[in-house]
Amino acid sequence: MKTKAPASSRYQFPVAAQVGTLVAAVFAIWGAFNYYDFETAFQNAGQNRDPYMIRAAAERFAGLRQAIPANAVLGYVTDADPGTLATVIFDTAQYSLAPRLLEDGVHRDLVLGNFTRPGDFQAFGARFGLRLERDFGNGVILYRTERR
Amino acid sequence: MLELLWVLLPVATGAMLLYRFAGLRALAPRWAAALLIAGAGAALGIGLASIIFFLSALCLPGFRFLPMLAEIGLAGWLAFEVYRSRREAPSPVPDEKRFPWTPVLALALATVLVAATMAMTNYWSANPQGNWDAWAIWNLRARFLAAGDLAPRAWSPMLSGSSHPGYPLLVSGFVGRCWSYAGTASVVAPIAAGMILFLALVAMGTGGIAALSGGSLGLLFGLAVASSPFLLHEVPAQYADIPLACYFAGALVLLLLDRPLWAGALASLAAWTKDEGLLFVLALFAVMALTRRKQWKWTLAGVAPAGAVVLLFRLFLTHGSSWLTGSGGSSAGLLMKLRDSGRYLTVAGTVIESLWNMGFGWYHPILPLLVLCVVLRFKRDWRRDVVPAGVLTGLMMLGYFMIYIVTPLDLNWQLSTSLDRLLVQLWPLFLIAVFAGLRAPEAMAVEVPAPEPKRKEAPARRSKR
Repeated sequence: MKTKAPASSRYQFPVAAQVGTLVAAVFAIWGAFNYYDFETAFQNAGQNRDPYMIRAAAERFAGLRQAIPANAVLGYVTDADPGTLATVIFDTAQYSLAPRLLEDGVHRDLVLGNFTRPGDFQAFGARFGLRLERDFGNGVILYRTERR
Repeated sequence: MLELLWVLLPVATGAMLLYRFAGLRALAPRWAAALLIAGAGAALGIGLASIIFFLSALCLPGFRFLPMLAEIGLAGWLAFEVYRSRREAPSPVPDEKRFPWTPVLALALATVLVAATMAMTNYWSANPQGNWDAWAIWNLRARFLAAGDLAPRAWSPMLSGSSHPGYPLLVSGFVGRCWSYAGTASVVAPIAAGMILFLALVAMGTGGIAALSGGSLGLLFGLAVASSPFLLHEVPAQYADIPLACYFAGALVLLLLDRPLWAGALASLAAWTKDEGLLFVLALFAVMALTRRKQWKWTLAGVAPAGAVVLLFRLFLTHGSSWLTGSGGSSAGLLMKLRDSGRYLTVAGTVIESLWNMGFGWYHPILPLLVLCVVLRFKRDWRRDVVPAGVLTGLMMLGYFMIYIVTPLDLNWQLSTSLDRLLVQLWPLFLIAVFAGLRAPEAMAVEVPAPEPKRKEAPARRSKR
């Protein structure tokens, strides 16, 4: 079955093709609005807003950024147990401090202590032969390796 | 704002390069040629800018102005070339078989893109730094690249494993370039880069299918891609998967349009984006060997420039350290994995589950495609385009499947963290393979004889007596 061609055209198109393309277009619009609903709800849910606390990390490490040169390479210690949390806080620290480089361990003169809870940071460092150089607050500690 | 200008310069450069030298402006309809040039040009320009910046960071660290001047000079020369050649191209022959709903489809595509962009603004507002890999890998390494003579830290083995120093640098290089030139490291550059490469993907696919088969089919392709919720969700995440999907799709479209040189160029930029791009280049050459033997030299010429940079990076800077090229364990362990039928079942089962989960709620992106397959059906000479596109897509799927089988990492973890993004990379390829075989509504037009003009009746003569 063919429909009447528009006045300006000398061609007719099958009704099925016309209806089908329109149905496909409607499906596509449905898909886009479906995505709109999903994304809006997902991003507005509290737990999905900056889940890795990148903004907070930038503020936490702002003082340290000011204190050490851009080409510094720092050692790294933390009180977080190995696992996803430890990886996240290492990566957020690295991102916040770049282009300064972090190297896990205490093989550098300067070592970043990245702590998830309050504690005796001086004693923590002493276990690794580190002297507390400066406490930047919020669990951000700069240690210096004691001369061996 | 300055960052945005630095994002847009290579887009214009790439478009002018293709406009002048790729012979795409003669394609019909005119708007399809424009979309193709804009989309492929954006992808090409971003890739070129990334490479220029990387090479200058490698060879002349600290001389930020040299690559800037090189880019501005290139853009100026291309603008002159475009101006000089503005009347050279033959005008495309207008197609008389205009599908009456084409303007409605164009309006629908615009609506879909606006709705998708509005949704993404929620993401950009809540997570302007993107998702984990965005800041832990791509934007982190961009910060190193933007830091003058500290650029080598972007691929330093001292960088933590979760930042993947062996990954190629197209996205990081481009973002780092924008930050370096603008002198600021805001979230504008990575967000804009991701969005532009998504729009380039849609534009290239729409323009390419329109030029290949018909305008309305091109617009339907654009609708199918731009309404896939699982793909849209990846755009504001600022990962490298949307850029990679863009380069894959662009290379395939240009291959189908018999532009092997430019297809090769985009394929090599895929290899500069992610490791999966290396597999794509190999698959592309396999397809050329099977279906387009006469064109393989042109493809090789297209692959060579960026391919050389990828090889330099792989062999001399990162020593092949990545999950694709790295060690997969002992050969005995590899053989055990290949013989383990449980791994095949696990991968196949997870793939099927992920395919099912591509939909959000009641909507599944396969729906518009199914409708079109039923009402339009396949054209008679479908093999010419569907075979190369299908073989390329199939080889990529097979390659990914086998990489999961032999992965040295925990299989379930690897599947759960990467499979959805691999589907994002391959979905546009799959759509191109299907759309390349569909009949365009324009091809179903039936010519009807034009109505004869009505004769003016002569007034009855009165008999004179």
